[in-house]
Amino acid sequence: MIANVSRAAAFGLAAALSLSAAHAADDKAEREARWTELRQTVFGDRKVEDGDLVSLDTPVRAEDASMVPIALKASRPGEVRAATLFIDDNPAPVAGKITFGPAGDASLTKLRVRVNTYSNVRAVAETSDGRLVETANFVKASGGCSAPVGASDEEAMKGMGDMRLRVRDEVTPGKPAVATLMIRHPNFSGMQMDQVKRTYTPPRYIKTIKVTYNDKDVFTLDGDISISSNPVIEFGFKPEANGKITVAATDTANAHWEKTFDVPSQGN
Amino acid sequence: MTRDFLKAALVLALLPAAALAGGPGSAPEPDGLWTGALAGYTPSTLKGAQVVETAAVADLAEKGAVLLDVGPADRRPDTLPKTAIWLPQHRAIPGSVWMPGAGEGVLRPEQEKRLKDRATALSGGDLSKPVVTYCKPDCWGSWNLGKRLVGWGFTNVHWFPAGINGWQESDRPTVPVGIDADWRATTAPAAER
Repeated sequence: MIANVSRAAAFGLAAALSLSAAHAADDKAEREARWTELRQTVFGDRKVEDGDLVSLDTPVRAEDASMVPIALKASRPGEVRAATLFIDDNPAPVAGKITFGPAGDASLTKLRVRVNTYSNVRAVAETSDGRLVETANFVKASGGCSAPVGASDEEAMKGMGDMRLRVRDEVTPGKPAVATLMIRHPNFSGMQMDQVKRTYTPPRYIKTIKVTYNDKDVFTLDGDISISSNPVIEFGFKPEANGKITVAATDTANAHWEKTFDVPSQGN
Repeated sequence: MTRDFLKAALVLALLPAAALAGGPGSAPEPDGLWTGALAGYTPSTLKGAQVVETAAVADLAEKGAVLLDVGPADRRPDTLPKTAIWLPQHRAIPGSVWMPGAGEGVLRPEQEKRLKDRATALSGGDLSKPVVTYCKPDCWGSWNLGKRLVGWGFTNVHWFPAGINGWQESDRPTVPVGIDADWRATTAPAAER
């Protein structure tokens, strides 16, 4: 009798477990199918390898889905020519492409993105010899693309294009350095609704940020609606004895901003 | 945390004083359907229906309840460059029927009839069959649909205010779903029909 009851209970439990296991397997297969579709849309028939060339640091569960911090790391930065960032399940899944220049250092790049629903966040690095290497992390966050930017559009657009740059620590010529760039811009996704007017705020976002050091390219970011408002980008660069960093940003309304910052080095 | 704060600040800034009391779940129950903005604090009750949490929804789903998702569809921004990759998908609780817009307070009479017929068909004509309505937190859409079902005589209506977010937060699986074909036919512009 007892055996029968526990067998029935075990059967019920097994059925419940297999049901959720089946769903979990569906979930995984479906996410793979989504990535296959995306991969083919962006890279065509090119092979995308798994590898340890790049990795991502992402929160398991994001505190704010409209500002999810991600860090892209390259184990051999010299080999990374560019990296495309994907948020697989966002409606516009390509968040941006970072192209590193001769004055850039791909060791560590940080930025903040919008995540619309629980999704894989992915980076595909393009190597200097033309290979594609990917890495992906699952991030739990939802609603990031449609979360309002501020109390009103007008307020969100105040000071648009203002830039600040902070260089971390002292800069030593020949040794990679780290800087943080902040740009004021709402980066309207076009999916944010004005709750009073019940209309969507038209998309207006920074499409290109180009950073140079002494006229040599550090990186160019071609961004989309998944880049968070007021972009904050931490990046590496290779300083010389004396230097200036110039940042040029253009948004989808073709507004253009440019600013140059002195980067004093220890050698001075 | 920051987000909740911003959301609260936004709601404070935008909504008329009457709707301001406390926070999520703080709105008083209107007598009829809610015809204001669908995003905003809802009541925490729905007369004639049961308010349910994630575990109860999982249980109901297992037992074959009708799951109705009225979460909005992602809309392609008008001025998004043609070259941008736009591949929206909607995730729902496995087994759900997705009817974006079915939670609007005001529906055209033919839409309202179609919705009622669809809900009746999905429950096999059995008004006592369990039905769960949901969208996302602070969304009147699922409240409105629950209200309509109660009004149509459904006796086993469950409203799940935490919606898809609550479901995902409990690490339960979701599946991409398309808009219910029957519902889509009622909402498509005349030219597309």
